[in-house]
Amino acid sequence: MSERRLTIALAGNSNVGKSVIFNHLTGLHQHIGNWPGKTVERAEGTLHFKGYTIDIIDLPGIYSLSTYSLEESISRRYIAVEKPDLVINVIDASVLERNLFFTLQLIELETSMIIALNQIDIAKKKGIKIAPEKLEKLLGIPVVPTVATKGVGIFKLVKKASEVVEKGSKAKPIEVRYGEEVERGVARITKMVDEIHFWYPPRYVAVKLLEGDEEIIREVKQIAPQIVSVAEEFATELEKLHGHSCSTVITSERYEIAGCIAREVQKLVPPIKPPIEERLDTLTTHRILGYPIMAVLLLSMFYSIFAFGSYTSERLSNFFYGWQPFVESVLGAGVLGKLVWGGVAEGIIAGVTIALPYIAPFYLILYLLEDSGYLGRIAFLMDNVMHKIGLHGKAFIPIMLGYGCNVPACLGCRIMETERERLLAAFVTTLVPCAARTVIILGLVGHFIGIQWALVLYVFDLLIIFFLGRLAFKTLPGEPTALIMEMPEYKMPHLNTVLKQTWFRLEEFIKIAFPLIIVGSFALKLAEILGLLEPIATALSPVTVTWLGLPAAAGITLIFGVLRKELALIMLATLLGTMNFSQVLTPVQMVVFTLVAMFYIPCIATVAALVREFGWKKALFITVFEIAFAISLGGVTLRLLMLAM
Amino acid sequence: MKGLDGYMERRGDKEKVEVPLTALRDGESGIITSIKTGQGRGLGGGWGFKRRLMDMGLTPGTRVTVVKSAPFHGPLEISVRGYRLALGRGMAERIFVERKG
Repeated sequence: MSERRLTIALAGNSNVGKSVIFNHLTGLHQHIGNWPGKTVERAEGTLHFKGYTIDIIDLPGIYSLSTYSLEESISRRYIAVEKPDLVINVIDASVLERNLFFTLQLIELETSMIIALNQIDIAKKKGIKIAPEKLEKLLGIPVVPTVATKGVGIFKLVKKASEVVEKGSKAKPIEVRYGEEVERGVARITKMVDEIHFWYPPRYVAVKLLEGDEEIIREVKQIAPQIVSVAEEFATELEKLHGHSCSTVITSERYEIAGCIAREVQKLVPPIKPPIEERLDTLTTHRILGYPIMAVLLLSMFYSIFAFGSYTSERLSNFFYGWQPFVESVLGAGVLGKLVWGGVAEGIIAGVTIALPYIAPFYLILYLLEDSGYLGRIAFLMDNVMHKIGLHGKAFIPIMLGYGCNVPACLGCRIMETERERLLAAFVTTLVPCAARTVIILGLVGHFIGIQWALVLYVFDLLIIFFLGRLAFKTLPGEPTALIMEMPEYKMPHLNTVLKQTWFRLEEFIKIAFPLIIVGSFALKLAEILGLLEPIATALSPVTVTWLGLPAAAGITLIFGVLRKELALIMLATLLGTMNFSQVLTPVQMVVFTLVAMFYIPCIATVAALVREFGWKKALFITVFEIAFAISLGGVTLRLLMLAM
Repeated sequence: MKGLDGYMERRGDKEKVEVPLTALRDGESGIITSIKTGQGRGLGGGWGFKRRLMDMGLTPGTRVTVVKSAPFHGPLEISVRGYRLALGRGMAERIFVERKG
């Protein structure tokens, strides 16, 4: 029966435990994707309850329903136009005032909603005691107190939600009323909007027009421009009266209402200060000590991931290759056997030996850091450096991810506020040497020339990132945004949520990367069987041999490195007929090859991620630029090194 | 309050002096008087940041306390309306406050 299907959306500020509630509700029935055509994440899941199939949509964590960011405008449009059956507004009991500011906006939007008053345990620790019944009465909205991390109140929340959907709420939500002067304007404009049948509630539109909301002004202008001019008149008048802009006045008054309600329902008692968390915060954002602590933490994180990764990766691949004789004996050693094993099976193996040992722990640690609150501190410490390339502190997070794999890093750029910054951050992350490129750097330069030279390459990479990032920042039109970020309190990470997040990210990665890795391996094998490698090498020789001074065979590895970068080194060994590269390559050649491999293109899976997030044109532009850059850099380096010797 | 008016300095009425938030030392508090908008690369202007700051609760008349500032002209951490907020320095320079101990 179709009427038994419901849609419930979770809405609220960041860091209020929304994702924990989402995980409680949906278990393993989740799907992470993007909002159609937007680089904003959309998490969906299903819940079965009392014969209902409930689709749960986790809206992005936002602080307002103005249209400052993509997240906000998407959320607003979704709530008002697509109208879910119910919105569960998750609010943080320990920061009630600011959370209620958002709640009031939902009420103004005439949303059918209930409230999950979450993190009452943290509030208690901070010395804030809240009376939920009183809050419910004042707002006229059902309130369910919850401690999501411990699963407290979740069942009640779902029960309340289904009740409200079935029977409606008993109480009537409060009317958000502003000062006399504002109300006069609102009343007049509401009446005008009432006549044009707009898709937002008329009173809401009136308030937003006075606030100067660009999106709504644009839309109303198309239907009834006279309303906009009346609103502008009122706004100017109000500005003269108050000495502040009309939007400032309205926002202040809205905060005033939120503050009144908060003061009414909460009782402040002397807080039980958690001294460890307090001290941890002081230490980790200390103006001097903060940096070495961060460096040590991150380096040990990278080191342990790579140590674990290479060990597990080898084990896994040994295990898989143990099956090779068996598969070949079944399919025969002919073309079919070669294609199936070398094309399909090896592709899957490559995917598994990268995804499981490297990417899974990367995500796991990242989410542990995020959930504990440390990621926010890193963004705080790195803000300054990131500003030099037109980004702010938060951009450091996808860059870090890039060292594991560029695919999740590109997807991770969704945390930036504007489209411009997402693109800029994604461009920078594709220059970060991922695990596969690290294999080349360490395996060639590190092994045969010396580990110190590998480190030089890493530092050089950082300089290039800085230089190209700055170049892109100066060329891309638009204004950089600055850091405005809530500093979350330190807390114990919620393991279950962290594990689920890791799993769903991994799933997302597998969906994007695996098909391409397999297709890549297949194409590679096919080309080999058809004898195409030789002609390709010859065709590329003007670039590889003449300009880059490499053996002709290197051209093939670079071409196929696009498909699977971690294969470049192994292929080179196969084509040159030895693993001992020092016999066939000079140190200069090794450096040039490594440099080109580092920069020349993110692998095909990264290109796919770029296409998905930014569209074909931008992905193609980044790809072509990076190929051209890498080849130029390689040639110039060759000539400089020759001169120096 | 716009432009130079933002810097108004009433003679003989010292406590009415407006200073940018960045002028406060760690632990010092102030009441927000105005947020200046304007263009300028790297300063974080012109993209609705004022709107955003308001939404985060930094409305005129609100009390803010500087918790700490990062070195080398890094961001500021402030306490406002019962929570902690990290702010890029360029933006903090545009928030004007009246010192309140």
